[in-house]
Amino acid sequence: MRYITIALSKGRLAELSISLLEGAGLDCSELKENSRKLIFTDERNKVRFFLAKPADVPVYVEYGAADIGIVGKDTLLEEGRDLYEVLNLGFSKCRMCVAGPKELEGKMDSVTITRVATKYPEIARTYFRHKRRESVEIIRLSGSVELAPLVGLSEVIVDLVETGRTLSENGLVVLDTIADISARMVVNRVSMKMENERIGKLIEAVRRQLE
Amino acid sequence: MKRWNIYTPEGVQDILFDQCRMKRRLENGLRQLFTSYGYIEMETPTIEFYDAFGGELGLIRQESMYKFCDAKGRLLVLRPDMTIPIARAVATKVRDELLPLKCCYIGNTFCFDELGGGKQNEFTQAGVEILGIHSPEADAEVIAMAVKAVKSCGIEEFQIDIGQVDFFKGIMEKTGLPAGEVEEIREGIDRKDFVAVEQVMNRHKVSGDLKELILDLPRLFGNRDILSGISREPIGEKASAALDYLQKVLDILEDRGLARYVSVDLGMVQSLNYYTGIVFRGYTYGVGFHILSGGRYDGLVSKFGKDCPATGFSMGINMIMMALERQNRVRDEKREGILVTYEEGARKFADAYCEKAVENGIVAELDIGLGGLDACLRYARAKGLGKVVLFRADGCSEEFERGAGL
Repeated sequence: MRYITIALSKGRLAELSISLLEGAGLDCSELKENSRKLIFTDERNKVRFFLAKPADVPVYVEYGAADIGIVGKDTLLEEGRDLYEVLNLGFSKCRMCVAGPKELEGKMDSVTITRVATKYPEIARTYFRHKRRESVEIIRLSGSVELAPLVGLSEVIVDLVETGRTLSENGLVVLDTIADISARMVVNRVSMKMENERIGKLIEAVRRQLE
Repeated sequence: MKRWNIYTPEGVQDILFDQCRMKRRLENGLRQLFTSYGYIEMETPTIEFYDAFGGELGLIRQESMYKFCDAKGRLLVLRPDMTIPIARAVATKVRDELLPLKCCYIGNTFCFDELGGGKQNEFTQAGVEILGIHSPEADAEVIAMAVKAVKSCGIEEFQIDIGQVDFFKGIMEKTGLPAGEVEEIREGIDRKDFVAVEQVMNRHKVSGDLKELILDLPRLFGNRDILSGISREPIGEKASAALDYLQKVLDILEDRGLARYVSVDLGMVQSLNYYTGIVFRGYTYGVGFHILSGGRYDGLVSKFGKDCPATGFSMGINMIMMALERQNRVRDEKREGILVTYEEGARKFADAYCEKAVENGIVAELDIGLGGLDACLRYARAKGLGKVVLFRADGCSEEFERGAGL
């Protein structure tokens, strides 16, 4: 039997993913040990796991280097990879939002926005192009995006909002919601067909726990 | 200034020696296969007008084509696809009495970020097209050729997944949903994203049975048994006829002994906008992308001025090579052959020997001034030749074979 390979996103998502997979009957004990190994195995079920940076998970899965991946919808939207998106796991919930200074509230349709700061350039570009039919300059940042409107780098930002506390503490408000975000299970298009039975069973076992 | 002279552009690759030999062997095998079943080879230009693919026709995205201009300033492209040029050629150059036409091709196509090439921008496609006939037999024939093509390349474990675009279209017509919503549902089903499909469906009033079927579409794949579970009543005439057609194609493939390579996916609704009926894709282990794709495209030829139903498939040779490599099925393609060298005054003997050997089907090389017997032996070893023959001035020869002097 071939190994089925599962790519997990490092960080917060990893723990929740592991408990979900354990609940589905996989043995993740190797994964929970503190070791320098990169690939972990469940020999009984012939499953391999590895942890990767969230943005890399869809890449591994698209190329078939991993059959299955667990990753946030934000990463999927940003990466735009050609995958099967089979389950909404429901955890790590938040929203992808356009945010800006309070003065802009309710005025999104009347003012012209020219500069947008974000860690998610693709999501921002698609939103402004298709939903708002505007050409804007996207400024890519790597962190603390809230700073941008405060120091005049951009008028608005596109970012993940969980509670909205960071925004409000800096005098910013949500101007529009682009998408609801949560963790998803994705499957490579070929693996889904070539290993239909095993992967189907695993999806079903995970789905049952979500009910 | 950076110098690019030693690099190749993004997405293109040199294919050297062993790999090239393997590629040609696959191509020759496929050409032989296609022509043995009555397909006639044809060749279309590498460059075409942009208008044949993009612009008003809108068949291929503008962003995925290599573009440049001709001497009159008209926009040209490197062909991004083989089927569209064949449709153009048949519409404009083939007379009705020659239809139906079974043709085949092997050629390079160019596309930015196209999956078919495994992220390569230049890749070789081999395939067949049947033009001028609309019948389940023709669709099954094309799928059968796809199966034979994969097998002829030496891949044993693979699967051809068959869908039916008209089934989806029929159901959507029955719901009466606006085009934008249908597109959103199509994207959801194509991603097998149940949540997205449900979100759109919940915005509209659609009868219970039909809604249930649409929500179920991402799950409707596997062996052909899934078809028998579909209730015909709510889906309408068009979708029902589409299912019957699919059943017929599957029956024919069963009779032709190919059922074990075939599976069904009613959620196969990829955005290749020229497909109109049966569609299919081929998969194997080791590569994360499909190795071949095809289907019926009854509306395409008419875009070039002639009504003509058609069906066909194309296979990515580069993907096949990747699959063979990953499945450890690369045949050892060691070179065999002899090197013929000579002392001064013996050139005519050596040349005659060489010509004779080639006539008899042996690979033979005449010494090109390598610089003496030792250099010849070194050359033969390095190139994997099995024998060196040395001619002396008196016409006598001496042989050095692998394991005996070589």
